[in-house]
Amino acid sequence: MKRKREDVITLDDSLWERVMAATDGAVAPCYQCGVCTAACPWGLLQEEPVNVRSLMRRAQLGIHQDGEMWWCTTCRACEEQCPRGVPIADVMLALRRLAWQDRTIPEGISPVMWSLYWDGNPWRQPPSQRAVWARGVTVKRFQPSDEFLFYAGCTASYDNRSQKVALALVGIFGTAGVSFGTLGDEEPCCGDAAYALGQHDYLQQIVQRNSERFVEEGVQTVVTVSPHCQDMFLNQYPPIEGFQPLHYTQYLAQLIQDGRLRFEAEYQVKATFHDPCYLGRRNGVYDPPRHVLAAIPGLELVEMPQNRAEALCCGGGGGRMWMDTKAGERFSDLRVREALDTGAEVLVTACPHCIACLEDSLKQTGSPMRVMDVAEVVAGALSAGRGA
Amino acid sequence: MREPHSIVCLKVVPKSEEVTINSETRTLDRSKARSEINSPDMNALEAALTLKQRHGGRISLLSMGPPLFDQYLRLGLAMGADAAYLMSDRVFGGADTLATSYALAEGIRAIGEFSIIFCGDESSDGATGQVPPGIAEWLSVPQVTYASRVQVVNSGQVLRARRELGSGFEIIEAPLPCVVSVKQDINEPRFLDFQRYDWAMNEAEVTVWAASDLHLDESRLGLAGSPTIVAGVNVARSSERRREFLEGSPQEKADRLIEKIRPWLRVG
Amino acid sequence: MVESIYPSKDAHGIWVYLEHTGGRFEGVSLELLGRGRALADTTGENLTALLLSGDGSALAEEALGYGADEVLLAHHPALSVYTTLPSARVVADLIIHRRPNILLLGATVNGRDLAGRLAVRLLTGLTADCTDLLIDKESGLLSGEVTGFGQGILATIQCPDTRPQMATVRPGVFARPVFDPARCGRTEVIAVEIPEDDQHVQVLRQSSRRGVDITQAERLVIGGRGIQGDFALLRRLARALNADLGATRVAVDQGWIGHDRMVGQTGSVTRPKLALVCGASGAMQFTVGIQESETIVAINSDPEAPIFEVADYCIADDVFQVLPQLIEALDREMAGRKG
Repeated sequence: MKRKREDVITLDDSLWERVMAATDGAVAPCYQCGVCTAACPWGLLQEEPVNVRSLMRRAQLGIHQDGEMWWCTTCRACEEQCPRGVPIADVMLALRRLAWQDRTIPEGISPVMWSLYWDGNPWRQPPSQRAVWARGVTVKRFQPSDEFLFYAGCTASYDNRSQKVALALVGIFGTAGVSFGTLGDEEPCCGDAAYALGQHDYLQQIVQRNSERFVEEGVQTVVTVSPHCQDMFLNQYPPIEGFQPLHYTQYLAQLIQDGRLRFEAEYQVKATFHDPCYLGRRNGVYDPPRHVLAAIPGLELVEMPQNRAEALCCGGGGGRMWMDTKAGERFSDLRVREALDTGAEVLVTACPHCIACLEDSLKQTGSPMRVMDVAEVVAGALSAGRGA
Repeated sequence: MREPHSIVCLKVVPKSEEVTINSETRTLDRSKARSEINSPDMNALEAALTLKQRHGGRISLLSMGPPLFDQYLRLGLAMGADAAYLMSDRVFGGADTLATSYALAEGIRAIGEFSIIFCGDESSDGATGQVPPGIAEWLSVPQVTYASRVQVVNSGQVLRARRELGSGFEIIEAPLPCVVSVKQDINEPRFLDFQRYDWAMNEAEVTVWAASDLHLDESRLGLAGSPTIVAGVNVARSSERRREFLEGSPQEKADRLIEKIRPWLRVG
Repeated sequence: MVESIYPSKDAHGIWVYLEHTGGRFEGVSLELLGRGRALADTTGENLTALLLSGDGSALAEEALGYGADEVLLAHHPALSVYTTLPSARVVADLIIHRRPNILLLGATVNGRDLAGRLAVRLLTGLTADCTDLLIDKESGLLSGEVTGFGQGILATIQCPDTRPQMATVRPGVFARPVFDPARCGRTEVIAVEIPEDDQHVQVLRQSSRRGVDITQAERLVIGGRGIQGDFALLRRLARALNADLGATRVAVDQGWIGHDRMVGQTGSVTRPKLALVCGASGAMQFTVGIQESETIVAINSDPEAPIFEVADYCIADDVFQVLPQLIEALDREMAGRKG
């Protein structure tokens, strides 16, 4: 029987070498158990799950990928289960890096990099308008004597929905009387979009430039709106003496613990909390947002069945905010249903991408439940105290 | 001609929203504006790169401006172009489209034989769209303007392009060599190739020409060579939107809206 | 100072280059006859229309009725479909011999294609895409008003020394003149020779657009959640505006319209001259797709909707109340213009 051309699989030694180099050999320990494929949320939404196991196998053998790695949201649900500790998400991103070299990246991705290059943000927004969100409030320029640098990030700076989170935080910092500053319209992009979309060469330039900048400015503690920005500063930037990147929930939890932030009145609301992947699974920050919510009198927190390390991804990570996901295949549709089942009035989260995805899915249900960031809940609770 | 040789004209422009009018002198103030490569020129370069991928050959970049344009030309080299030329001289300054197209055409002559000159259709500052047809006339070659798709057919002898016209389009063919100007957003300009980046930024040579390096008719250059003058400038609108709320009954709002958008109305 | 191919004192007459397809003038050509007439009346010059075509054209009479004093008619098979070189040859030769003061063309794709070539052939100044034209009664000097820097700057351009003074004019800026069948004028048929070398560019075919490509749309009507699936209503509006149809992600998700019409970060990024957004709240992931529009109109029943932050003209009202009125008013407007 004559074999069809397509039945012959070619092992490409040079591709294998490139993959090994790009992934630092990380894919070698994989022994093909397949738990990753089972853990991957795509299996819940598509006819065929994303075959993570097969992707790892192809990487091990030097077999060409079919663009499958672009599905990954880097939620790391697979890594949570992997018995060999393979950094699967990193392997996905390394494969994306190779795609840039081979010029096989999907449509819509190059423009995001050019947007970073020309405009300093991935949203094609004018750099001159980066600080417009802060026009109505008093935000001063960061000085080394400040307690921290408040880092809004590209999404909170430009997205009219997330700007509300940045504004809420400015109000909270004011109430607590902390000294902080921002870099105004000179705030650089952390580089998350370049990282997530596999453009690691360009990422290195961003990281290099920003690190030097932070050192020049005397930045020590940074408080970010987005867990993605914090993750970049924590894990992708070189170590800087005294540099401490925090997500704002960690900082608020500390303020509360130190007695610098107090809630005077009741704020009656039934809430559930969605752990952002980049806060929870990625960096282990599960408790601080919960401590903050627990400190609010009258707030009843109910947990979704899949919480903490088992939280279902919203679908926005891994650069997927810049890729289209068909209706009916969105992780956040499932997550919102899970939240609705708790009977909560508010679905609380702590990430601008999560807000966008969850609100998008919630709109389809017509439910009165709202999505709020922890900061917005805190701001609401504080103004309740002021009899507002 | 042996191998295909495309020349891509690039213009570096200020970001439009950062250009202001100096209220005292009533002149344009670009001093605080960030710069970028004119967006349709990026699409032109991408079109040239796609043809190079398909048919081989070389790409030369040409720009006219101050020495700092060097770094922008190097970006084009990092994207995949092979050579870069910068015409830089005070005497080129203040040029309108007649003087600009003359100078660029002479620069092209100095670069040498070409198959296709690629340009963006218009630049974001002046938005005249006149330089590409001007270059074609100075060089006495055919032109295809406002192209949305470009191909080379007939064993590299003919350019076939699609042009968008009103509510339809046309497919047009022009013999090479010719000039083609492309519309914005017709393709996705590839990002920097980091396997070329170091060479492009540090090793590649950008040839810089002063006016005296080329055989130019000085009376055709700069302000002296420009038949048009700017008699006055004004702010038309700030980069921020008007945010003007229209009031009244639904009918009144509709009528008021038509008044406002009249300049954009058009019969089929 | 740039030397003119002929002196200003010899330059007389306002010329308008007429574009036509399928036996009908382009709207902007008529608008130019209207404005040209006004300019000519101011300086006491003649208004001449240039009509290039493949065969004898019945349009010459029409041009006279719209205000031209004379029509120069040039026929040649190479002129039956516009390509640059044959038209440039004919027009440039006429200009060199007859020495007009001014040449006006519509700022259409072909108008600008031709004007750009002619200006260099004639070594003269060309002002692009004018939004107004004024003339000095004594000197006959034309002032063209143009925009630049993404419509942010308004400039007045003049061509003091060279002739002809050339300008392309934005369609829709000037009103269409009223046709007067009683108007008289002269028609002159021009003998035309077009060298072989000018005829190498060929138009293979012309078509109306099939398939959807909203990235090239000049006018876009976009529907969001608030239109509750009524794209039939939006289609009527789009037709009245001679616009293309777009949609937000929500509208596409709901299955109201195809994915190829989606506007936004993960759909199409568009740059229309006019974007009319109906029933969309204005999330950034959507507005990224229209933020480069020249003019944005937003209609939304919620006065707090973020879309109003990025709009030029805002209507905080019920789409279903406003749109029918708008469609009616547009139909009236367009009917009036055809007159």
